[in-house]
Amino acid sequence: MKSIVLCTENIEKRFGGVIALKDGSIEIRPGEVLALVGSNGSGKSTLTKVITGVLSSDGGTITYHDKPVSYSNPMAAQRAGIMAVYQELSLIPSLTVAQNIWLANEPKTRFGSIDSKTMNAETAKLLTLFEGTFQPSLHPEAYVRDLPLDERQIVEILKAYSRKPEVLILDEATASLDSKQVNCLFDLIQLLKSEDKGLVFVSHRMDEIFRIADRAVILRNGKTVGEVLIADSNEDEIVHLMVGSNVGLTRELGGRMTFSAQESVLIVEDLENEQLNGVSFNIKQGELVGIGGLRGQGQSSLLHTLFGNSHYTGKITLFDETLSFDHPKEAIEHGVALIPGDRATEGLLLLRSIFENFHLPNWAKYCRPLLKMKSAHSDAEEMGKQLNLIMESLDAPVSSLSGGNAQKVVIGKWLLREPKLLLLDDPTKGVDVGTKSEFYKLLVKLQENGTTILFYSSDEQELLDLCERVLVMQDGKVKADLSGDNLTEANLVFHSMGATNNNNHHEESTHA
Amino acid sequence: MNDTNIQNKKRFTISPPVTALIIALVLFLLSGLLPNGFNDWASALRQAMNILRLASFIAIIGAGQTLVIISGGEGIDLSAGSLVSVGALITYILINGNNNLILPVLLLVLLTGAFVGLLNGLGIMHLKISPFVMTLGMSGVVQGTVILLTKGYYDGKVAPIMTQIIARDLVPGIPGMIFVWIIIGILMTLLLERTRYGKELFAIGVNRVTARLSGVRVTRMVVLTYVIAGALAAFAGFLLVGYTQNAGPNLGNQYLFPSIIAVAIGGTQMSGGKGSYFGTIAGAIVIQLITSLLTTMQLPQALQQIIFGSLLLGILVVYGRDKSLRA
Repeated sequence: MKSIVLCTENIEKRFGGVIALKDGSIEIRPGEVLALVGSNGSGKSTLTKVITGVLSSDGGTITYHDKPVSYSNPMAAQRAGIMAVYQELSLIPSLTVAQNIWLANEPKTRFGSIDSKTMNAETAKLLTLFEGTFQPSLHPEAYVRDLPLDERQIVEILKAYSRKPEVLILDEATASLDSKQVNCLFDLIQLLKSEDKGLVFVSHRMDEIFRIADRAVILRNGKTVGEVLIADSNEDEIVHLMVGSNVGLTRELGGRMTFSAQESVLIVEDLENEQLNGVSFNIKQGELVGIGGLRGQGQSSLLHTLFGNSHYTGKITLFDETLSFDHPKEAIEHGVALIPGDRATEGLLLLRSIFENFHLPNWAKYCRPLLKMKSAHSDAEEMGKQLNLIMESLDAPVSSLSGGNAQKVVIGKWLLREPKLLLLDDPTKGVDVGTKSEFYKLLVKLQENGTTILFYSSDEQELLDLCERVLVMQDGKVKADLSGDNLTEANLVFHSMGATNNNNHHEESTHA
Repeated sequence: MNDTNIQNKKRFTISPPVTALIIALVLFLLSGLLPNGFNDWASALRQAMNILRLASFIAIIGAGQTLVIISGGEGIDLSAGSLVSVGALITYILINGNNNLILPVLLLVLLTGAFVGLLNGLGIMHLKISPFVMTLGMSGVVQGTVILLTKGYYDGKVAPIMTQIIARDLVPGIPGMIFVWIIIGILMTLLLERTRYGKELFAIGVNRVTARLSGVRVTRMVVLTYVIAGALAAFAGFLLVGYTQNAGPNLGNQYLFPSIIAVAIGGTQMSGGKGSYFGTIAGAIVIQLITSLLTTMQLPQALQQIIFGSLLLGILVVYGRDKSLRA
């Protein structure tokens, strides 16, 4: 067994009352690629951020070169030789590629000024590592703001590489790269491996893990639950470790209706745009369909596209009508509602009152042409009661509400319209448990009243509890359509990871 | 009204428009103490009416400004001053003393203002030019066009009915302009508080993403708002010439800055999403009182401008604290 360059033991991290990491333990060895695997919220990113000093830990130890260390900021970790590449890019858009790569590390001339010539030449040399996989617009003096996402990711990778790290952590670094670029990255990883560097590879793609990693550590609910040698393991084993023993949990809340006889109310065919690569599915009247998969696989984009908020090619048929919305207003008029993912930036008008937030989509109903304030007020009052909204008064600013109550306003403004198709974009994120259960009951009630619901959640348990059918998305496609006995947590995780050679779980879904 | 009372609800706060009105009252009483101030009820009333009449022009130019500033996205209309001049010139030259031409010319004035507002709105939304630059540029274009068309020579006359209504007293002691102002004030308040347009205007001022996702056609709303603002500015020019009885290509410029300060004093948030026309009315009265005071005290023009500029900055410092609440 090789020596250990960095190891973490029992790392803990809490965010307020939420425990993100309980027992994060990994060993990074020189000349080896360690894959860090786990489903949404299992603590992978938290662990890497603790190692690189982005977050401070609440317990546990990090040992680096046989000495206990703890970095209070990323710069300190970088100086010690620990670098990370994140999916949320940290580049500065208004600087050039070269300036970004050498930021705070610029080569100096004899006089102590920045040596731009050397900087650009070195950058050009670095770019040859990815030669042929990017547009000519990517050059040392190009501004980062002009680059597409994949090229920014390349710059980010090269920035980390240029610092000659001892330990390099790649957190979802392949998510926005195409296959050629991934190949170049893997060549680079092999190069670093041959130089005896320690590498950590966080990815949601099973095939990549099996191509590049030597070892994998599996995290579940913030705990290290297993470690396997890739050469001796298979996808099944890893998925089982990720899911643990709570396989086959039954749905408690879902109505478990059967929909075989009914007509589809929503037919989506071959939807494509920047984030979607050909999405097709059908939904029947009154179905509550979940959308699963890892974060950022096109789920939000799909909902926004159905809501008329994105351009697309493909065909959407809703209630026997072929539609081409080019503004959410048209979708709203057809009985579609979207409860967006981010309350503060997409769902609420923070400066305005609860009353005005409730009615923003509904004012047309009260135009005579002056607004009928009394009837608008009593409608809002009633909706507040129905949702059990705890508020001072309807005229209080919506920013005075707690998170859960604010989310009720976002939901209420659509319920006032009695939508026929309700789209939900991860609505329970950051909502307290009590509000969550009220919310689940509400969804079930709406479903019983015939509302068709399409529900994206990053919480697998929630999907399993609520939905009788889940579409799993990956890379902007529907990877699997799970229902009935196929709808298990193992299958959900399995398909989220893009695994393919599964014989035990996967049966071709019969859904149209 | 004031967002600072979210945290400590018990704290006593006064809304900016009310603050402005109290300031106005104090200033007015102070002005009475000046050597050439009023010394009996009749002259005090006369003085007050005079202040209100002058303030009404600032407030009507400030009406469009209020809408544009509430619409957010760094909204501001710097072309308002030029549009006042244009409205006044069109009225002065084309009516030429003929009562029968008042309505057609008024229509032309409104359309001209609306057209310039349309160009502002389209430039801001479709060419993504910032409102500051777009409307400043448009102001230059408008002013240049006026000089080009008139060749600096203009001659005309205001219609007698206009003089009668705007400049003279309609009811003994109360100038007709005050009634025009009251009507506009009521219409503006209804527009903001009791129409769908008003509700959606506040919405786009707070958060355009939320507004769009709630079915508000943001682009259309912004363009429409600049159109209304343009028409209102030109309409103010129409009224102003009825009072001054004379027009010129620079008539409106002196009103631009006061109209913006009036909006700010009235508590309309400069970053949008919050405000009222009542506030702008109060703000306009404060501005006019200060101007009158400074003029009575015979301060030089330059010093007056310094005081106005400092006033605007001071207001923004005092009112601009709840910015952190916006998305």
